[in-house]
Amino acid sequence: MAEAAAPILAVEGLSVSYATPYARLFALDDVSLAIPRGEVLGLVGESGSGKSTVVLAALGLLGEAASVSARRAEFDGRDLLADAAALRGRRIGVVFQDPAAALNPALSIGLQVAEPMLTHQRLPRTEAYARAAALLGELGIPRVAEIMQAYPHQLSGGMKQRAMIAAALAGEPELLLLDEPTTALDVTIEAQILDLLEGLRASRGLSMLLVSHNLGIVGRLCDRLTILYAGRTVETGPTAAVLAAPRHPYTRGLLGALPRPEARARRLLPIPGALPDLRSPDPGCNFRPRCPLAVAACAEPQAMLPAGPARRVRCHRHALVADLPLLLDPVAPSRPSAAAPLVDVEGLTRGFGGPTLLRRRRTRVHAVDGMSLTIHPGEIVGLVGESGCGKSTLARLILRLLPADGGRLAFDGRPVPERPDLAFRRRAQIVLQNPDGSLNPRRTVEAILRRPLAHFGLAQGAAAGREVARLLELVRLPEAYRSRYPHQLSGGEKQRVGIARALATRPDFLVCDEAVSALDVSVQAAVLNLLQDLRDTLGVAYLFISHDIGVIAHIADTIVVMYRGHAMERGPADAVLHAPHHPYTEALLSAGAARQMRLVDTAPSGAGCRFAGACPRKLGAICDIEPPPWREASAGHRILCHIPVEQLARPGLRPGPAGARRPQTP
Amino acid sequence: MSAAALRHAASRRLPGTLLLGGAVLGAIAVLAVIGPWITPYNPTAFAVRFRFVPPGAAHWFGTDEFGRDVLSRVLAGAHYSLVMGFGATALSLAVGVPLGLLAAFHRGLVEEAIMRPIDLLISLPPVLLGLLILAVTPPNLFKTVLAVGIVYVPILARLSRAVALGLLEEDFVTAARARGEGAVSILAREILPNAWPPIIVESGLRVTFAILLGSSLSFLGLGPQPPGSEWGLMIAESREFLDRAPWIGLAPGFSLCVLLIAVNLFGEGLREFLDPRLRGRAGG
Repeated sequence: MAEAAAPILAVEGLSVSYATPYARLFALDDVSLAIPRGEVLGLVGESGSGKSTVVLAALGLLGEAASVSARRAEFDGRDLLADAAALRGRRIGVVFQDPAAALNPALSIGLQVAEPMLTHQRLPRTEAYARAAALLGELGIPRVAEIMQAYPHQLSGGMKQRAMIAAALAGEPELLLLDEPTTALDVTIEAQILDLLEGLRASRGLSMLLVSHNLGIVGRLCDRLTILYAGRTVETGPTAAVLAAPRHPYTRGLLGALPRPEARARRLLPIPGALPDLRSPDPGCNFRPRCPLAVAACAEPQAMLPAGPARRVRCHRHALVADLPLLLDPVAPSRPSAAAPLVDVEGLTRGFGGPTLLRRRRTRVHAVDGMSLTIHPGEIVGLVGESGCGKSTLARLILRLLPADGGRLAFDGRPVPERPDLAFRRRAQIVLQNPDGSLNPRRTVEAILRRPLAHFGLAQGAAAGREVARLLELVRLPEAYRSRYPHQLSGGEKQRVGIARALATRPDFLVCDEAVSALDVSVQAAVLNLLQDLRDTLGVAYLFISHDIGVIAHIADTIVVMYRGHAMERGPADAVLHAPHHPYTEALLSAGAARQMRLVDTAPSGAGCRFAGACPRKLGAICDIEPPPWREASAGHRILCHIPVEQLARPGLRPGPAGARRPQTP
Repeated sequence: MSAAALRHAASRRLPGTLLLGGAVLGAIAVLAVIGPWITPYNPTAFAVRFRFVPPGAAHWFGTDEFGRDVLSRVLAGAHYSLVMGFGATALSLAVGVPLGLLAAFHRGLVEEAIMRPIDLLISLPPVLLGLLILAVTPPNLFKTVLAVGIVYVPILARLSRAVALGLLEEDFVTAARARGEGAVSILAREILPNAWPPIIVESGLRVTFAILLGSSLSFLGLGPQPPGSEWGLMIAESREFLDRAPWIGLAPGFSLCVLLIAVNLFGEGLREFLDPRLRGRAGG
């Protein structure tokens, strides 16, 4: 940790508000933060907490509509609010969340990295390009000359984010603002980017502000944390101390709601309620309505109180927070089902593209390539894999929403035809990812829930009304929500309506396609708990699809790991989460293994292992040439790999780069 | 729910544009219906002694080259424009929207079979196409409506298809497919209610263009025939007297203008009113 020096960025009492048609919206209310030179500050909060507003305010990019005020806002002794335009891009660099949106699709990567040097430093073209190439090389981009000529769409997400970081570094900044830099990336890529940032901080002495909603990633990189809730700082302190013993009820709530592979048998602790209305801010503690410790005195304005070495917390009851339970009692493990499988998938295959009349040489890309899996009644099968691995295609194949190229699908012992009958449709339903898109915006909640009842002839008239009430109760929504339109619901509430709609037909099997991925951690925990309860009470079987192995580890009885259209490992959750692992599963579970994955942007060609190109434990030519065998690690736990099980059981890690820290979670 | 949100939710009144457009449109519609009974003079009766009388107390809009009262003629002609505008648009909506939705739902052969002839139609200039349809048979009002309606089918079909293509990717359509709903049910229940706003706005525009095109065709002699007082026809007939008696052409021209603006306001207001997302957001 750096010695006490003047902070490079010091903000005190920053407030931002917007005029909206009916009231003023207070996005930030008296926010203070300081970044000592050479340190990394993590700014954590859920959506609506105002964390991106802090970044935009520091860059002076909030626009005319915002009124910004601060008691003090200084960058290295200069007035940040007055000089933001002169500082950004030169002394302050910024990396935004989605590299696909932040890069201009019409300009080459080389130009976009060199551009700040051309405009700010007025370097000659050849020199700017040479330095851009050097930067890209420093950030671990292979074949730099080739990548310089490439356009953003030709690069993978991780490569694009590396290019974005290179562009941010081009102006030789002293402070890097990172606004959710890894949220749009896969976990394995995320580990590599965090590693890269860690290295940059060591080699260049950069100071950073890392904005994230994810407590798991800030622990890896940040010296100090500041937690934001609804526009106010609620807690600040050294990372390890805050994560080990949070002193604000909200911080504690965030930790309790985070699903983690280590604590999979525990029930998550969601934070009840929703974000307060920022148009009429509570003069007292604004977390009060959701807080288990709230008392009458919480209605008084709260100050940031000292709470231990270098820690401050906006809660007058912070001494009591340590006694709040972080984890609830273990849940009873689900009994293994000995019944015949409900869903039986064998060798399901589906490709896209392929030769057409005009383009005969186009090859068909197999999104799902010979997937097999079985799901028993009441079982939760977790399917985990990164974006583009074909998991959503598989979900649609299993529900026969997409015709398959080949393979067999049986439901309840009978093969499912290409165009299934209503009985199959009734018994197999889907819960979709995007809460904003999954409900018809023109229909009330009641109309949405009545539609499946009418379509399958399950209930009419008053009976349907009672059924709607039952469904709302099932997903724990108030009866009054019947007449609401989707835009009047929060994200978590929309997702509950989506679940209720799927349950309306009393299905036996539910596909949950990234059903909690778009939700904030506190809401996600509540929806995960709900899904778990529904399985326990209704005996519904789930195929639960997610890119987040923490979520899968938490909810699934059986885990299937998918990579490039094929299963790599499958087995009971406890077996899959513990060694021996497939090298890819190992990368998903541990940042240490992920940072040793190799960057690949071409699909493997031969008949060998699909993971061979990226595998940190690749044996040699055999991996490229011969299809790997299924190896039986324990009863029902199978791994598709050339490496023998005994060898897989030993961690295959080389020592990680110096200075890299393990995730610090309690 | 906060006080601000409550106030916002209570503001679910009709938009001003809808009220103003609707009021003017309604007034014109009423005048068009009761026109024949309230005209101060017989719109087709010649009065040779009163030719080219400028606007005044006796003749508010003056008289034309045959001494006919221009106000009476404008009133008697109002229904032509309304029937042409709304009739033709209704026709192109009734044909174009289902074609577009079907083309979006059934990608492939059905889409090609629907959209390629539509591309062919769209490549012809509207007036020329109208002329083609009308020139072969003796003109009358309903043939003009038919011609104008056919001219605007491709535009609505293409628009509906484009809107539906976007909506068909939405998750709530996937949910409907997972229920095993058929094409008609998905299009009618899930797509159409969400596709309305752009289609309504476009229809508002189409009504104005249809009135204009209808009047243009009448101007060219392919609409209602003299002594009928269709506004486009009136403007055509007034051309040679524009320097001596400009009111003969200005009165129907001005009326046309007011009608078109009212239709546009109405369409814009309707879109605002129909879209629940543009209404107040109640606090969750």
